[in-house]
Amino acid sequence: MSADIDTLSDFSSGNDGARRFARWLAGFALHGGSILAFAALLIFFSITAPFFFTLGNIGNVLGQSAILGVLAIGLTIVIIGGGANVVKGGIDLSLAANLGLSAAVYATLVSTGHGDGVAIAGALLTGGLIGLVNAIAIVIFGIVPLLATLAVMNVVAGLELVLTQNTVVSAASDFLSVLSNYGPFDIPVLAYVLIIFTIIAAGIVQYTPLGLRLYAVGAFPEAARAAGLPVKRIVASSYIASGLCGGLSGILSVSYLSGSTTGAGEMLLPVVVTALLSVVFSRRLVPTIGGTLLSTLLVGFLTNGFQLLNISSTLVSGIQGILILLVVAATSLQRGKGVA
Amino acid sequence: MSVFANPDRRLFTPQFIGQVLLRYAVIAALAGVFAFFSFATTTFLTSANLTSILVNNFTLLAIVAVAMTFAVSAGGIDLSVGTSVDFASFAFVSLVLAGYPVGLAILAALVSGALVGLFNALLISGVGITPFLATLGTLFIGRSSQQLLTNGGNPVYLPQTGISPLFLFIGHGHILGIPVPLIIVGLLIVITSIVLLRTRFGRAILAIGVQQSVARYSGLRVPGHIGLVYVISGFIAAIAGIILTSTVSVYIPNSGGAFMLNAIGATFIGTTLSREGRPNIPGTMLGVLLLSIVANGLLLTGLSFYWQQVGTGLLIFIVLAASFLNRRGRGD
Amino acid sequence: MSPVADNGKYALRLRGLVKRFGGVEALSGATLEVERGTVHGLIGQNGAGKSTLIKILAGLYQPDEGSIEINDISHRRLSAHEVEKLGIHFIHQDRLLVPSFTVGESLFLGREPRLAGLPFLDRRTIRKRAEEILDKYFKLKLPANVLISELTAAQKQIVQITRALLDKPSILVFDEPTAALVRREADILFDLIRRLRADGITIIYISHYLNEIEALCDRATILRNGKDVATIDPRATPASKIASLMVARDIEEMFPKISVTIGEPVLTAKALSKAGKFQNVSLDIRQGEIVGLTGLLGSGAKDLVRVLFGLEAADTGEITIEGEKGRPRSPVAAVAKRLALVPEDRRGDGVALGLSVAENITLASLKRFTGFGFLKRDEEHTEVDRLIEQLAIKTNGRFAPARTLSGGNQQKVALAKWLSRKSTLYILDEPTVGVDIGSKVEIYNLIGKLAERGAGILILSSDLPELIGITDRILVLYRGAVVREFQSSEATPDEVLAEATGALIQHYGEQRHVS
Repeated sequence: MSADIDTLSDFSSGNDGARRFARWLAGFALHGGSILAFAALLIFFSITAPFFFTLGNIGNVLGQSAILGVLAIGLTIVIIGGGANVVKGGIDLSLAANLGLSAAVYATLVSTGHGDGVAIAGALLTGGLIGLVNAIAIVIFGIVPLLATLAVMNVVAGLELVLTQNTVVSAASDFLSVLSNYGPFDIPVLAYVLIIFTIIAAGIVQYTPLGLRLYAVGAFPEAARAAGLPVKRIVASSYIASGLCGGLSGILSVSYLSGSTTGAGEMLLPVVVTALLSVVFSRRLVPTIGGTLLSTLLVGFLTNGFQLLNISSTLVSGIQGILILLVVAATSLQRGKGVA
Repeated sequence: MSVFANPDRRLFTPQFIGQVLLRYAVIAALAGVFAFFSFATTTFLTSANLTSILVNNFTLLAIVAVAMTFAVSAGGIDLSVGTSVDFASFAFVSLVLAGYPVGLAILAALVSGALVGLFNALLISGVGITPFLATLGTLFIGRSSQQLLTNGGNPVYLPQTGISPLFLFIGHGHILGIPVPLIIVGLLIVITSIVLLRTRFGRAILAIGVQQSVARYSGLRVPGHIGLVYVISGFIAAIAGIILTSTVSVYIPNSGGAFMLNAIGATFIGTTLSREGRPNIPGTMLGVLLLSIVANGLLLTGLSFYWQQVGTGLLIFIVLAASFLNRRGRGD
Repeated sequence: MSPVADNGKYALRLRGLVKRFGGVEALSGATLEVERGTVHGLIGQNGAGKSTLIKILAGLYQPDEGSIEINDISHRRLSAHEVEKLGIHFIHQDRLLVPSFTVGESLFLGREPRLAGLPFLDRRTIRKRAEEILDKYFKLKLPANVLISELTAAQKQIVQITRALLDKPSILVFDEPTAALVRREADILFDLIRRLRADGITIIYISHYLNEIEALCDRATILRNGKDVATIDPRATPASKIASLMVARDIEEMFPKISVTIGEPVLTAKALSKAGKFQNVSLDIRQGEIVGLTGLLGSGAKDLVRVLFGLEAADTGEITIEGEKGRPRSPVAAVAKRLALVPEDRRGDGVALGLSVAENITLASLKRFTGFGFLKRDEEHTEVDRLIEQLAIKTNGRFAPARTLSGGNQQKVALAKWLSRKSTLYILDEPTVGVDIGSKVEIYNLIGKLAERGAGILILSSDLPELIGITDRILVLYRGAVVREFQSSEATPDEVLAEATGALIQHYGEQRHVS
């Protein structure tokens, strides 16, 4: 009997209600508390910064968060399918580098006179291939995801440098200007892209059998295997999906910056934090696509609010760090696993 | 315990030869890369260039990788090694700038690095957060604090004149013709190798890293040892911060993070050299050497500077794949 | 029995199964014949071959000899996939359910109903059908959107059984299903199994609990040493008869009888309690004394051992070790008081497979080999070599990884670790499980020698002849309480087993149940 199952039966044996209550309370504080904190934050900014709670500003935040959001959704899929253990479970460190290379491919194709269709295919193919390499390294070679994606990250970041010679490849096309423009209600098109992409991703992950199986594989691979699911294939596809998200974010990034970017690597840690924060926005304390959108917005509003209040945006990274530690500490408390 | 001495009698089975090949893949790669660059360029195999590899490419990464090896030995990982480098560098520059003696500034730098480690230790051994997430959190908080300390990330320069010669000596000096940073690294390698291989502390760390539960059932103080490992990791990384600062006479916020990924790569390359797949200082150093030579050699071949990163990444990837296949072959 | 005459009568016939692992025979000609539509018990002690037999049936192992016939069709070999297609399902004590899933999701994982013509989950159908099925089979009003982690152990088991029932199984195998259940929940499960039988499903029921076998099974096969020794009607057979069939009696000469003078108490525990695990347990172990402890899964014996070694905290009670009061708060404290624990999970907790034999042996006594923080390797190696020789550990030198040793030799390394520590109280948890017969005898000898030298020894074992053979007295735990203390010289395996399985308890009430 594994320790987890022991804990499980402890949890449900019902005769020590106190501990059960404490865990419920921790769970409630984590889940309910984080939503309350989010709401309080919005109210605080609305009162202190007059422009904060306007449709235009909210649209801007959404638009600015689109790239982060798409990447974080990709990572969320990997975390759902790999389990929450960061070292042995699912993680994709190559996502930010993937963004950089896909953007570079897109920008290069456009600037060398190819059409948007070719460029889009090129960027998505790049992202998908990176995901495939990760999948092979993890599922076939059996390399720990943390290390496999770390190595792939280095290669991809290098290829981006080779392709762009560490310069910004500027790109302009009709498609790009549509993306970078404003849509209905004076809200950036990127904001709509983020919303639509979230709906599609959430539809697949939250509402299809495939999504359910992804959760089963990540949470309890033995149970998934016992239910006859092809565990390895599902894990592999989660990395490919994540790679495709990298490719898509590359396209968005080119439109946002009117070219490729040399600083894609900087995105990695915010992406990791955003995906990990996702957990606190779900009742079951599991990562969800909706939760990832909320945590993306939390990070976005924090940055935006601080800007409006003229508070240094450098605080954001520190607050992200503190958030992640709080969340992890609370979840480990909630799961009843204290010090090793 | 010994990494190279092999009391095994059953030689020359195909499986054994395969394992040896995989295990010495790093050394073969090292020799191959060395030979390749010697022929491909005229400038690689010169004493000036070889010294430059050691001083410019090897030193700092080697120190940070030693710090990482401690964390990995104990079964964890330290993503915040760069934070310790930065904090040490900041403390060092600030105190020297404020006119304090260099000796005191060095002490403060070492303490700063160790404090970063202590923060990790409290999170990991105290709160029970996994090392990856704890040190990731520290990394983030470290970033913000550095930007706050420097008004949004402005470098802190030391004036060109009037600095204590002792300060410059650490980065630029020579003793008996050997560069001081190299001497420091050499001492560090010897000391940490002895600590990990020959002391009770090192043995405990090893046991905790190999199988924590057995260490616990044997009455070892597991949380205490793990905590100490992160303090040590921060302390060692601080040495890199001191040398870095003394070499370039400036503190650039959040510059230490650049070492983290290569340090992890070197450490895991090192484990493939060990018969038992254990993290070890000599192996890590070979990993650092390999990465340094590739970085330097690719530059000299006249190939685009940017192929360097691709090459390094591919190298780490191949070595990792070999090591995991090797471990699977042993049936772990 | 002629195979032709029985056609159609049996749902399952496994005959003359032989399975060898290396040189060891786990099964040596075991036969299990299960009549269609009956509940068939399978009983036997640890190591009797139950789990090997079941793994062959599950298609996880291939037998070396013997025949397999399922629903009158003979199979040369089975794969896990074929077994499922044949309608054989397994309910394990480890419930393979995802804690963060709802009841409905767990039931339909892998065969999810979809919205007509769309790739989406039909959550309403999942919920409705789940509730219908649970109500139909079990009269259980369970909202289908409750999370698995919120269920009781019995409810989880019901979910798992329901999952199997959705596949319309012909044979259901229950593997120790009540191990984690309280009495009331077990009763629900028994009702359910009877109902399934009425529906024509054939059931194989594996258990340690003789009273369960008696209450539930139409027939029962008893395994011993890899063979079936009898197939009986449990209702017509007294528990003592069943117990004596389960226990082998031919290895008593293995146990060295050394007369040892019993000295001062090494460890005394008074009125230890831990909620939900055990209550009011007292014991004392003296120098030179070998005390046995036995009890089934869930009896609290394991938890008691964990408390003694500081791995878990007791709620109340007192422990005195060598005259010094105070419960060990951690293994660090326990080891400092010269306690030793050889844990049951040898490869998980006892021996670090990735460390060398030498590193394992000195792990608990590094202080002995340290001067100014440095390891004195010569002294360490001298001691290691001495212990390797003394315990006759078969190893390719002191630097060989523990991984490369056989189970018996790994266990000797686990013991040597504490000899090097010069412990005064040894707690041995199932010390000979998975150990070959030769090493077993050597380990018994070693235990005898330790006692002779004045160490106190506490052995937790479910191998009763072994326990009776090597101990001076035996404490039996049942559902969290010490129900009986035997003098080993007067105990028989049948009596001890009867106490441990509650065969006698059930006649005088159930107030002892932990629940």
